[in-house]
Amino acid sequence: MMVLGIDTSGYANAVGLVDDEKVLADSTYAAKTDSLEQIVANIDSTLKSAGLALKDVGGIGVGLGPGSWTGIRVGVTVGKILAFSTGKPVAGVPTLQALAYGARHESSLICAVISVGTGDAVYAALYRPENNAVRRIGEYYVGDVKGLTALLTGPAVLVGNGSQAYTRIVKQESGMNIKAVEATPGGAAVACLAEQRLELGEKDDVLSLTPLYLKESTAKAFVNKYKSSHT
Amino acid sequence: MLVLGIETSCDETSAALVADGETILSSIIATQLDLLRKYGGVVPEIAARRHTELIGYVIKEALDTAGKTLDDIESVAVTSKQGLIGCLLVGVAAAKSISYAKQIPLIGVHHIEGHIFANRLSHPDLPVPHVCLTVSGGHTMLLYVENDCKYELLGTTLDDAAGEAFDKIAKFLGLDFPGGPVIDKLATKGGIKAFSFPRPMIRSKTLDFSFSGLKTSVINMFKDRVARNEALPLADIAASFQEAVADVLVGKTMRAAEERGVAAVSVTGGVSANSRIREVFRETCRRKNIDVFFPKLSLCTDNAAMIAAAGYARMKMGEVSDLRLNVFPNVPLEG
Ligand SMILES: [Zn+2]
Repeated sequence: MMVLGIDTSGYANAVGLVDDEKVLADSTYAAKTDSLEQIVANIDSTLKSAGLALKDVGGIGVGLGPGSWTGIRVGVTVGKILAFSTGKPVAGVPTLQALAYGARHESSLICAVISVGTGDAVYAALYRPENNAVRRIGEYYVGDVKGLTALLTGPAVLVGNGSQAYTRIVKQESGMNIKAVEATPGGAAVACLAEQRLELGEKDDVLSLTPLYLKESTAKAFVNKYKSSHT
Repeated sequence: MLVLGIETSCDETSAALVADGETILSSIIATQLDLLRKYGGVVPEIAARRHTELIGYVIKEALDTAGKTLDDIESVAVTSKQGLIGCLLVGVAAAKSISYAKQIPLIGVHHIEGHIFANRLSHPDLPVPHVCLTVSGGHTMLLYVENDCKYELLGTTLDDAAGEAFDKIAKFLGLDFPGGPVIDKLATKGGIKAFSFPRPMIRSKTLDFSFSGLKTSVINMFKDRVARNEALPLADIAASFQEAVADVLVGKTMRAAEERGVAAVSVTGGVSANSRIREVFRETCRRKNIDVFFPKLSLCTDNAAMIAAAGYARMKMGEVSDLRLNVFPNVPLEG
C-alpha cells in the first residue's frame, strides 16, 4: 500500500512516501517556526518529486509526537483532515517509535530521545529491534536526561536530535556503554510504521485522532495539583 | 458559491456552510464553556488542545447538518488573523488540508471582519457607509465601514475590552463565567442608578475607550462596603455597572456617527447580545433618527458562518490565499 507519512513534531517538516516498505521519498524541510506555513506545500513537492499526486496515495501516516505541542497539532490536524477529505485511512505513529525505527538494524536496545524544549528535560522510550520493526519496552519517560539511567539496563544506542550530548550525560552518571546515533524522525519511517498498521487493519478513527503530548499543559497540571491537595 | 467557514481563534471550535455569502445552511459551534468555567477563563494551551480534538467532528457535523459532502464545497474560508496563535493554527491547518485535497480556493479571513459580516448575514439591507461598533471579550473597536471590505479604524480600547470588564467584574463578585450573560440577567433585578460609576472617556475628543477605571471603581466601592459591613446588593451593582458600559459604548458610537455623518450604525461581537446595551442603543438611535442593526443572537459570539460570509466577499473581489497561508495573532484589519 502506498502511504504518505508526515511528522512536524520537531524543528523540521518530515514528509515521506513508501510503497510495500520501499521508500519512494524521504524529505526533511527546515521549518523552525513555520511548520504550518510550509507543511502542505512540502507534502505537495514530495509527491511531485516522486511523480505522484495525493490521489495516488492509499493511506496516510502521521507522527503523533511527543515534541513541540504546536508542531504536533499542525501535523495531526493536517494528517487527519487530509484523510477525512480524501476518504483514505489514517494511522498515527508515536514519533519516538519512528525515531527508533530508523535505528532498527542495531543489535542492542534502542533508546529514542526527544527534547522537551526546556532545560535538560526529555521524552524517551526504550525499544527492542525485532525483524524489521521495533517494539516498545516499558512506559514512556518524561523527565531530566539524567533519569534515563533508570530506563537503561545495559548497552543501548541512544537515538535522537542531540543524542551526543545526552549520551555524554548518561555515561557520566552511570558509566554504561551507550552509543549515540544522531537522527531526527523521518517521514519515510512514519510512513513505514503506518503502512504496517494499516495492513494489519489497525487504522485510527479519522475524527478522534489526537496528538501524543505525554505532558499536561502547565495550567492543567497546576489545577490538578491544587485540587488533589485540597480534597 | 458554497463556502465552508472555519473559526478557531479563541474558545469556540466552529464550522459552517454558507451559500453565496447570505444563506446559512449550517452553523456548528462547539463551545469550550465547561473548560472556561473550570479555569475561570481561556487557557491558550488547553483551548488549542480542545480545538485539535474537535475540529474534525465540527466540520463533519456542519456538512451533515446541511446535507452536503466536501465534494459540494466550492471554497474554504478560515480565520487566520487575530486571536490566540495556537488556536488559530488548528483551523488554518484543517482549512488548507481541505483546500489541497479538494483543489478548491482557500481564503484567510480577519476575525474582526468576520464580526462585521455577522450583521451583513443578519441584515442583507444593511446600508453603507455606516459606523460599526464591534465589542467582545477580546476587543472593542469603532470602525467606519465605507463599503463591504473597506474600513477605517476610528477608535479602540486603550486597556480592557468591554467584554473583559464584564468577565472581571463577574469574577470579582463571585459570579459565573462568562460574565456578560450572567450580569445581563442579574441586572434586570437591579437599579441602573443605584450606584454612580464613572463613564470613562465619555467626554474625551477621541473615539477610544477605556474600561479599567470603571472596573477599579466598582471593585473599590465593593471593598469599601465590605470594610464598613454594609449590604452588597449584587443586582444593583450589576445593573449600575452595565449601565455605565452601555452609556460609554452608545455615547462613543453616536459621536462617531455624527462625525462621519452616517444615518446607520451596526453593533456586533459577544457584547452586542447584551439586552440592556441593545435597549440603550435602540432608545438613543430612535431619538437621533439613526438606524441601528444587531446580528441575530446566534451570530453575536464567535462563529464560522460570519467567517464564511466575509471570505465570500473577499473572494468576490478576487482575493485568495495560497497553501502557505499562515496565522497572525495580532494584525490590524486591512481594507
Ligand atoms: Zn470574536
